Amino acid sequence: MSQYQIECVSLSKHFVSKNQTVIALDDVSICLNQNDTVMIKGRSGAGKSTLLNLMSGLIRPTVGKVIIESSCINELSDDSLSKLLSAKIGIIFQSFNLLPTYTVYENIEIALVPKGLSKYEMKENIMSLLDQFNLKNKAQLLPSELSVGQQQKVAIIRTLAKQPSIIFADEPTGSVDNQTAEEILEYLTNLKKERQVTLVLATHGNIPDKFADKIFILNNGKLAN
Amino acid sequence: MNYLVKELRSHSGRTIASISGYIIATLFILLMLSVTGTNQESSTRILKGTGTHFIVYIPSNISCCVSCDSESSNGSLFAEGVNTIMLTKDVMDSIKKIKGVKEVAPYLLYKIYEPKYYGDISLGGVEMNSIATKNNVCAATNLISGKFLSENPDEVVAEESFALAHNLAVGDTLKTYGGKLILAGIVNSGIKPGKADLYAPIDNVRRILRDKLKCISPGFDMNIVLVEVEDARIQNQVLLQLKERMKYLSVSSYNCYQPATDVMKIMENTSALFSILIFIFLIIFSAKTQLTSLMERFREIGILKSLGWSNSKLSHQILLISIFQALVGASIGVLFGFLIILLIDSYHIKLFNLIEFQFKYSSISALLILSLIGGLIAAIFPIVKLYHTRAGEMINNFM
Repeated sequence: MSQYQIECVSLSKHFVSKNQTVIALDDVSICLNQNDTVMIKGRSGAGKSTLLNLMSGLIRPTVGKVIIESSCINELSDDSLSKLLSAKIGIIFQSFNLLPTYTVYENIEIALVPKGLSKYEMKENIMSLLDQFNLKNKAQLLPSELSVGQQQKVAIIRTLAKQPSIIFADEPTGSVDNQTAEEILEYLTNLKKERQVTLVLATHGNIPDKFADKIFILNNGKLAN
Repeated sequence: MNYLVKELRSHSGRTIASISGYIIATLFILLMLSVTGTNQESSTRILKGTGTHFIVYIPSNISCCVSCDSESSNGSLFAEGVNTIMLTKDVMDSIKKIKGVKEVAPYLLYKIYEPKYYGDISLGGVEMNSIATKNNVCAATNLISGKFLSENPDEVVAEESFALAHNLAVGDTLKTYGGKLILAGIVNSGIKPGKADLYAPIDNVRRILRDKLKCISPGFDMNIVLVEVEDARIQNQVLLQLKERMKYLSVSSYNCYQPATDVMKIMENTSALFSILIFIFLIIFSAKTQLTSLMERFREIGILKSLGWSNSKLSHQILLISIFQALVGASIGVLFGFLIILLIDSYHIKLFNLIEFQFKYSSISALLILSLIGGLIAAIFPIVKLYHTRAGEMINNFM
C-alpha cells in the first residue's frame, strides 16, 4: 500500500500527429501527500496539462502509472474510474469547459448527478456556493452571458460542489484579470483551511510560489531538477 | 430523462435535422412501398392466372373406347393427337382432392373422319361456366360472332380457323356426327390444350356419341379431365403429386406456368431486395446521423465523463435520443406519407399514368419497427466509440 495519496511512476505520454510522435511527457515521477498544495510550473507546451490529465485519469499514459489512494487508475474499469471522478476528483479546466447550452445552475447540477443527490440537496448545495461566489443572481444565465471571470468562478463552483478530496486545477487564474485571480486564489486558500483537500495546480507562473507546499517544474515534458 | 429532454431541446437545430432525416427516409420508403406494393399486387394477380391449367388423359393404342365400333363411327376419342380411353368420374374426383387443385371439369373430345369436309372434324363436349374449361378449352369471352353454347342439342360453336377453312358463318348447318348441327357462334380460343373444331355442351356430345355413334358406354363420361390449379407457382407440385398418385395418367400442359412462376419469383425477390436495400439505406443514414451528432457532442460528453458520468449512463442517453429521434421522425414521416397519398388519391394521380399509390396500413407498424431497429443500430457505433475513448481525449480533440 502506497504511503502517498497520489503517486506518478515513470509517466510518459506520446502523441502521434501527422505520422510524427510528439513526446508530451517523458518519464515523470512525483508523489503527493494528502492535503498537499502542489504547483506544477512550466512554459506553455511544457506538459503541465498533460500531466494533470494523466493524474486525473482523463487520458491513459503511454508508459508508467498513476496510483491514487493505492489504486492504479490506469487499470480501473470505466465504471470504477467514473466513481472515482465523481466522488474524489475535481477538475478545474483552463478553458472552463462549461456546457454552452446549459444555464449556470445546470452546469453545476450536472456535476452532482452522478453522486445521486436529491433535487433538494443539489439545490441547497448549488445555491449556497453561488451565493458564496456572488453569482446567485446569475443562476439562470447561460455561460455566454457571463464575463470570463464569472465563467471561471462557475467552473470552480462546479468542482467544489462535488466536495472532492483532490482538486486538479489547470491554470485556474490564466484567463482572468488580476483582481479575479486574487479572488480565486483566496477561495482556494479558504477551502484548504476549511477542508482536507489535496490541490494540484498547473500554472505558467502567475500564481505566487508561497501558495504551494511543493513546486515541480516541467521543461519540454521532463521534470526539472 | 430530464437531461434527455434538455439535450434535445438545447440542441433543437440538431434534433430537428436528425428527425427531418428520419421523416424524409420514412416518407421515401412509404411512397416506394405504396407504389411497389400496388404494382406487385396487380402483376401477381395477372400472373397468378397465367399457366394455371393442364389436361389429364390416358393414351391408348386402340382407336376408341370399350365396345366402340370404330369402323362404323370412323372416329376416335383423342387428346393431344393420340387416342385415349374413357375416364370415370372417380378419376376426376381423385384429381380434385389433390392439394392445390382449384377446379376440375370433364371434357369429351372426339374426332370423326368426314370425307365431305376432306378430313377430321373434332367435337369437344364442355362443361360450361367452369374456369378449368375456360382456361383449357374455350369460354364465352372467346366468342367473336354469334352466340355461345346453349342447351339446344343441335347447336354448336366453331373455332374461327375451322369456320374460315370451310367457309362457314353463324346460322349455317353442318351435316356431321350422324345428324345436323347448327353453327350458333364462332370462337377464337387461342392456344389451348383442349382445342377442337366444334364445341357443344358435354351432355349433348355424350348423347351424340352414345346414341348416334354408339361409341361410349354409360358410366364413362369423359376422356379428358381439365384441371385448374390455385396458383402458377404450385402447378409443378400438383403435377408431381398427380404423377405420384396416378402413374397411368398422361398430363399435357403448355408450361406457361414456368415463365409465370419465374416472373413472380423475380418480382418477389426484387421486392424483397428493394426493401432490404431501403432498410440498409435507413440504417446507414441513421447511424451517420447519430455518429455526426455524437461527434458534435464529443466535447460535451467528454466533460460529462470528466465529471463522473459513467459510460453506461451516457450510452443510455445516446440510445434514448437515437430511438426518440427515429420514432418521432418515422411517425411524422408516416403521417406525411398518409396525407400525400390521400391527396394523390383524391386527385386520381397515377405514376406514368399507370401506377397507383395505395397507402398500406400494414406498413405503419413495419416502418416504426424498422425505425426502432434503425435507431438502435445507429446508436451502437457512437456507444462503441464512447467506450473506447477517454474523457480527456474527447475534450482535448475538440478543444
